[in-house]
Amino acid sequence: MALNRNHVAMFALVAVSCFVVGCSARADENERGADLYRLCAACHGESAAGYEAVGAPAIAGLPQWYLEAQLKQFRDGTRGTHFDDIMGMRMRPMARMLMRDGDVEAVSAHVAAMPVARPAPSLTGGDADNGKAIYTATCVACHGADGVGNQGMLGAAPLNHSSDWYLFRQVENFRAGVRGARAGDQGGALMRPMVLQLADEQAIKDVVAYIMTLAN
Amino acid sequence: MIDRYVETLSTYAKDIDNLILLIGVLVGFWFILCEVIFFYFIIHFRAKDGKRAEYISGEEKSHKRWISAPHLLVLVCDVFIVVGAVKVWYEVKQQLPEPYETVRIVGQQWAWSFVHPGADHELGTADDIKTVDELHVEVGKVYHFKLEARDVIHSFSVPVFRLKQDAIPGRVITGWFEPTGTGTYDIQCAEICGIGHGVMVARIVIESPERHAAWVAEQSPITLAAANRP
Ligand code: HEC
Ligand code: HEC
Ligand SMILES: [Cu+2]
Repeated sequence: MALNRNHVAMFALVAVSCFVVGCSARADENERGADLYRLCAACHGESAAGYEAVGAPAIAGLPQWYLEAQLKQFRDGTRGTHFDDIMGMRMRPMARMLMRDGDVEAVSAHVAAMPVARPAPSLTGGDADNGKAIYTATCVACHGADGVGNQGMLGAAPLNHSSDWYLFRQVENFRAGVRGARAGDQGGALMRPMVLQLADEQAIKDVVAYIMTLAN
Repeated sequence: MIDRYVETLSTYAKDIDNLILLIGVLVGFWFILCEVIFFYFIIHFRAKDGKRAEYISGEEKSHKRWISAPHLLVLVCDVFIVVGAVKVWYEVKQQLPEPYETVRIVGQQWAWSFVHPGADHELGTADDIKTVDELHVEVGKVYHFKLEARDVIHSFSVPVFRLKQDAIPGRVITGWFEPTGTGTYDIQCAEICGIGHGVMVARIVIESPERHAAWVAEQSPITLAAANRP
């Protein structure tokens, strides 16, 4: 009879482990995206809130279309291949590691589903009131009054989830042609003349300070 | 022999291959000989019926000879290796043949960037061509490079040239190469430099004089600026 009891115990054990494995598979619909994200977490952080020391911005909760578009730009060299784009060159190889078909989509879906985690502002000296005037005059047409971006406008980026130091650097990059100046980069070609209208560094700080007041 | 597996495309690539071959053959010869003797001894002097395996402390002259004779012979081989290595080291790393052009090479996490001197063959002028991931050179010309690193140590490696040179932050290291054939080949980073090290790749494009001149004319920032003007 002892043999029989062992059989029952064995069967129960197998059944329980099948149940556990099945559940954990179901718990994360996008297991592949989560798996791929382990690479990204090294710089963007576990909760994708960014890590300023390595220049990696907050990306949690950015819309899927924007994430996919940027990862593809990094991969095909539209972004991250300018001589002075030191931070872009750090990100580009990471996007190139997403090699299999569907990798970009899976990791983007995972990041898009993460709760927005915008860090507190770290830049000082920006005048949000003046920034509001600039934003309403020059940026609103594409990025929207709430800064949520506009996919239809050649992929105008959502700005309301990003850290201020990152926004500041991107505006400078667009102005210097470090980003958005590659032949065939239509979004960049649209964006560059707009930020070139900003008078000086103070104007950039002002408009970024205003963007930081927009709700996530 | 080695070039049957990895092409050789610089003037000194064959010298380095021959040196590797010399070291490989000499070390390989002693390695195989030693293993054969070891295994022969192990089997020959194993415990047999009525006879214990012997422990040899190696103090008798007849025993010591097995160490000292090969030792002397290996030292003779070392002379060949040292002479060959110093000769190649001098030719590749110490002497600097007159350059046709000098290029700047910059390593960073995780990309190689290049500054080509442009049509005037002078670095630091307005027609310098800056690129990322792609170095363009002309076949049959001596190039000097000025190698820099922006963050951590990298190593500039072009397998078909048999060229490998560490890039160290804060230093500008000068070296040279002369390509002997045209084509597009790999550039790698040969020093672990962080999470993206494995994909820190670039290409070297070795062109005929005509094609290279055409590339320089097309990429010149002066031509590009004129083309962009409305
Ligand atoms: C080695 C550090 C590092 C790793 C790992 C890394 N990133 Fe990045 N990422 C960066 C940096 C730095 C930037 C900012 C680039 C710039 O300033 O242009 C960036 C920017 C981005 C952007 C652009 C954000 C925007 O608002 O335009 C996206 C999207 C992104 N990363 C996604 C990812 C994903 C997905 C992964 C994982 C596959 C990943 N990153 C892994 C460093 C990293
Ligand atoms: C004509 C449309 C247009 C206008 C006006 C415009 N932008 Fe953009 N902007 C874009 C597009 C398109 C992109 C995405 C470019 C890409 O995909 O690389 C972008 C991207 C950005 C980014 C990068 C965000 C990120 O996450 O990397 C910032 C920052 C930005 N814009 C700020 C501004 C500011 C500030 C203004 C006003 C001074 C402005 N933009 C006006 C079209 C516009
Ligand atoms: Cu490296």
